[in-house]
Amino acid sequence: MTPAPSYPGALAPERAWWLESLGVRLRVHEWGDPGAPPVVLCHGMFDHGRVFDVLAPLLAERFRVVAYDARGHGDSEWASAYSWPIDVISIVQLLRSLRRPAHLVGHSRGGAQATDAAARAPVDVRQLVNIDGFGPPPEGFDEFGERSTKPLPERFAEYLDWRRGASTRSTWRAYDGIEDLVDRRIRQNPRLTREWLRYFAYHGARETERGWIWKADPHLTRGFGPWQPGWIAPGWAPLRVPMLAVTGTERDTWGPLPEKLIQERLAYVPHAERARVAGAGHFVHLERPRETADVLLAWLER
Amino acid sequence: MMTSSMIRLEHGRATLALHRLRDAEGPPLLLLHGLRGSSADWKESGDPDAWPGSVYAIDFAGHGGSGWLRGGGYHPEIFAADADLALEEIGTAYVVGAGVGAYAALLLAGARPDLVPAALLLPGRGLDGGGGHPDFFAFARGFDAELRTLTSPPEPPPSHDPLVRHAETDVRPPEYASAFAERARRLILVARDGVAPRWWTAVVESPAAEAVHGAATRSWSELATAHLLVASPARDGA
Repeated sequence: MTPAPSYPGALAPERAWWLESLGVRLRVHEWGDPGAPPVVLCHGMFDHGRVFDVLAPLLAERFRVVAYDARGHGDSEWASAYSWPIDVISIVQLLRSLRRPAHLVGHSRGGAQATDAAARAPVDVRQLVNIDGFGPPPEGFDEFGERSTKPLPERFAEYLDWRRGASTRSTWRAYDGIEDLVDRRIRQNPRLTREWLRYFAYHGARETERGWIWKADPHLTRGFGPWQPGWIAPGWAPLRVPMLAVTGTERDTWGPLPEKLIQERLAYVPHAERARVAGAGHFVHLERPRETADVLLAWLER
Repeated sequence: MMTSSMIRLEHGRATLALHRLRDAEGPPLLLLHGLRGSSADWKESGDPDAWPGSVYAIDFAGHGGSGWLRGGGYHPEIFAADADLALEEIGTAYVVGAGVGAYAALLLAGARPDLVPAALLLPGRGLDGGGGHPDFFAFARGFDAELRTLTSPPEPPPSHDPLVRHAETDVRPPEYASAFAERARRLILVARDGVAPRWWTAVVESPAAEAVHGAATRSWSELATAHLLVASPARDGA
């Protein structure tokens, strides 16, 4: 077995435990004093809790830092099917398991789900930090094929075709070595060093007899429903807790959105503040963990 | 003749039960039950022998003899995909759906017009969904009650997965439903008493749709034989 790689500043979690959430066990990672005020970290799509191995120790100087692997991600169990409301429920269950109000931080999809969780469980959340989780532009992200001009029923037929074969699609392809995973990931994180990519690719994949296989469930890739980007911002109107809206300054795969659009969406948030981390793209906390930690430490429990 | 046999279908990570209620030469019929129901409902509310061909009834995931989805994730599109697995087994079939099964029948009729010559949409549980657009304040207000329901299993344990409730509150925009109705070959909608959901009202206005009023108390088999097999001159060129 390949030994776990090291990376400057990265610290493995000090504690780990399981959270039972609606029939699926979720892996929870922790750093810092268990008696300190909690900060909960929610990763983005196809990431996992260990991507916070550099950011979390910086926050752990003042907080109990709790990062979880969403269902189907990292070391958490796979579900039969996935839906947004279930993920939001899991975040609230994690918050309530801590038995005191927490600061809630999420990135990308995790930021948007953390925002929905904070809107539904205001007494469990003290402050919310959304790191570039402001949804796709009205026309959708190219990467998810959302810009298809085919009529809805035709796209649904494609989804049905995929579902017909879903019982046999239980794993990703195997890669010969971890460097292949790094090559794959560097396409969406062009500013990160191979050393850092190797670190969290290692924790996001499993070494098997066939080779290296991503841990995330392949069934996460396909879903279908009437959801539309126009629903994002109105969904934030019930928020009671203050939100710090963080983005980088460099456009890449999934953000940041044009500032005008971010401001239009933030206009629905009753208490919003805005922060930018210079030089970072969508993966703000991975590209600039020290600067991201500084922004969070300056804002949390202010 | 009236028979009953069961076919197992593998859909994703759940094994589904597809029941053949009648085996006969003639056009096959597929029945899609309402939320928290099962294929057994059809035997109580109609007569499979009234239909001239084979009659199949599926148990949606989380219902009846089908497996539950571990960790939930139920929504009507998944139920429509359950039904599509049945079409893969049966081939071309007329479809009757009740409640959430009616909505799934609409999605299926729009996505698979080559396999669904006509669909009959009946009232039933899970017909409305969560409205035509999201009510985010209601979602937030209702959250604690929802969580209590999902995490406190009722006694005795229900015959269906409690998590199927997410297929009851999903948003069903009228324009989304209309897009499917536009591509369906024929839709027959049996109106219920009271206010219809917005998706239903939008579907009724599509060229493929015919509304039947004052028939909600008639049996599904009577309605199916009376309305499904009638050729539509405009659509089928018959």
